[in-house]
Amino acid sequence: MSKIKAENVNVYYGSKQALFDVSIDIAEKEVTALIGPSGCGKSTFLRCLNRMNDVIDICRVEGSIKMDNLELNSRKLDVVRLRENVGMVFQKPNPFPKTIYENVAYGPTIHGIAQSKEEMDQIVETSLKKAALWNEVKDRLDEIGTGLSGGQQQRLCIARAISVSPEVILMDEPCSALDPIATAQIEELIDDLKKEVTIVIVTHSMSQAARVSQKTGFFHLGKLIEFGSTDKIFKNPDKQQTQDYITGRFG
Amino acid sequence: MLKNIGKNMNNFKKNFLKKRYNAERRFQWYGKIAIGLALTFLAVFMFQIFSKGYSAFQKTWIVTEVHYDKELLLIDAESPSKDDLENADYYDVAYKAMTSLDPGLPEEEDRQLIQMVSYKYETEVKDLLLKNPDFLGKIVPIKLTASDDIDQVHKGNYPRDIPEKNRRVNDYQLQIYDMLNERGDILSEFNISFFTNPDSREAELAGIASSFMGTVFSILVCLAFSFPVAVLAAIYLEEFAPKNKFTDFIEVNINNLAAVPSIVFGLLGLGILLAVFNLPRSTPLVGGITLSLMTLPTIIIAARASLKAVPPSIREAALAMGASNMQTTMHHTVPLSMPGTLSGTIIGLAQALGETAPLILIGMVAFVNTIPGTPVDPAASLPVQIYIWSESAERGFVEKVSACIMVLLAFLILMNLAAQIVRHKFEKKWS
Repeated sequence: MSKIKAENVNVYYGSKQALFDVSIDIAEKEVTALIGPSGCGKSTFLRCLNRMNDVIDICRVEGSIKMDNLELNSRKLDVVRLRENVGMVFQKPNPFPKTIYENVAYGPTIHGIAQSKEEMDQIVETSLKKAALWNEVKDRLDEIGTGLSGGQQQRLCIARAISVSPEVILMDEPCSALDPIATAQIEELIDDLKKEVTIVIVTHSMSQAARVSQKTGFFHLGKLIEFGSTDKIFKNPDKQQTQDYITGRFG
Repeated sequence: MLKNIGKNMNNFKKNFLKKRYNAERRFQWYGKIAIGLALTFLAVFMFQIFSKGYSAFQKTWIVTEVHYDKELLLIDAESPSKDDLENADYYDVAYKAMTSLDPGLPEEEDRQLIQMVSYKYETEVKDLLLKNPDFLGKIVPIKLTASDDIDQVHKGNYPRDIPEKNRRVNDYQLQIYDMLNERGDILSEFNISFFTNPDSREAELAGIASSFMGTVFSILVCLAFSFPVAVLAAIYLEEFAPKNKFTDFIEVNINNLAAVPSIVFGLLGLGILLAVFNLPRSTPLVGGITLSLMTLPTIIIAARASLKAVPPSIREAALAMGASNMQTTMHHTVPLSMPGTLSGTIIGLAQALGETAPLILIGMVAFVNTIPGTPVDPAASLPVQIYIWSESAERGFVEKVSACIMVLLAFLILMNLAAQIVRHKFEKKWS
């Protein structure tokens, strides 16, 4: 079932066009990986899905992006509500310089999700458990989140993102700053999360895309070259460009 | 390969390397010399101030005996009330206390003895009795503030070998002084009145209480006006305002404002606060508002810089969680920028603290011999007090100037210390 349906999305930074007629169907409760060389527009596309491009003054998005038939690329859209439903994990772990508890509780607080302290404690515990971080931090929830190790920080960011029970989580190269062990933990986590959440992940690591995703899209120079099941893209792509990139002949 | 280093070098290469190392060594020496010079100047400056000023913290007293004679005090009542003591006539009692130092002196020469104590000696005689009503009718020892000249003689600042007519203290007074000194009736104690007295024309009585309170009120008013305005302006400009020609124009003007000479702000205060709004002249209220005009750009610039320094990843994290712009700013950006903003504020206030020119223009240079209790009472400020005293010729004021500078410096150091502590606390919380 399709969760997000993008049609003819064009993105401009000032006069420079960054995305050309991207159309893509992202399926519900699956992991969709976006791969491609640096500057190919995959992160730009990802940021269209929670309107993070709004932050950039000169950025302009055209085309239609629908999530459950709700038009995302519309002035009338309540961005706050959208982001409550579409969480994001960034390339560099960016926990707030606050306590671990406050980091996770921030989303539920500003969206008024928890009615009581007990409920909030419950949300924090569940989120940290889902992010496979609970056992490591349960005794030091009042320590500063930025004091954790890189991998722990990224899992804290994931816990923060899932604390508001979003339907979609966007991940922008979530493992690029992490060591292989932390990466493996995050990948395991992604596998667990996809039972409940739709995940779109941008990654530079082909093997990671192959491991975690069901669908893969290959971007090059702002165009979506090929999109299909991960199996097919990695084993038998239709386009020569995809083949070249996957086998490491360019990029 | 490494074993061969230094073996196969030709002369050219050797010289080349030598030059390179020499250049580095020379450069380090230039730096050391520069720091050495700066420290020397600082040391000379400090030595000057301390060597001249430390004696101002000592006060000289003359001890004599006073007879609280009921008749001379013109008190009729058998057991006089507080009011009776308050209204009694102390002139004769005080006069006798001084002249008794040399009973043989002809009456027309009395002034020479009276001049050895401050002109307020009569009040001192009165205050002692008011504090100890049971002294009435008794002969008790009393400490009287020595005059400026005797004070300086006692501190060794007046040479005795110059001709008598060129001296402010004549031979007779010196003789009395020596006699008292031998008897141990000249006391030198910590000068509390320097901190508790307002300004005075007499060096021995002049204190910094009025200017100190003036400074405190000015700084508080300045902080109260400039901090909220500057922080709000900085937050709006940095986080909300669209980036266009108009906001660029505003930014350029704020930077220009920071470079405007302070006396111009003084004229502004004079022309608008005093002339148009009719605020009370010579008051810390007007002084503080005028100073806040000066401090405003400094704080805005510092606050904007520290807002800019907050990593964009924090903003993105908050926005991606669905925080509004306002929430992102208030929950994350502003608290993270506070240490920088606060230190900018301290720098601005420290500038304002030492500012003299604008205060002179709005009339805070007036001679104020009362201690201001509110920001709308007339007052001076510490730097203006330094300026006023430095214009006085008496030797007693020279040491007061240095002492006042010391107090100003101490004030600055305390402020910076407080700022550091506040800053430290914030940083602990946020890192």
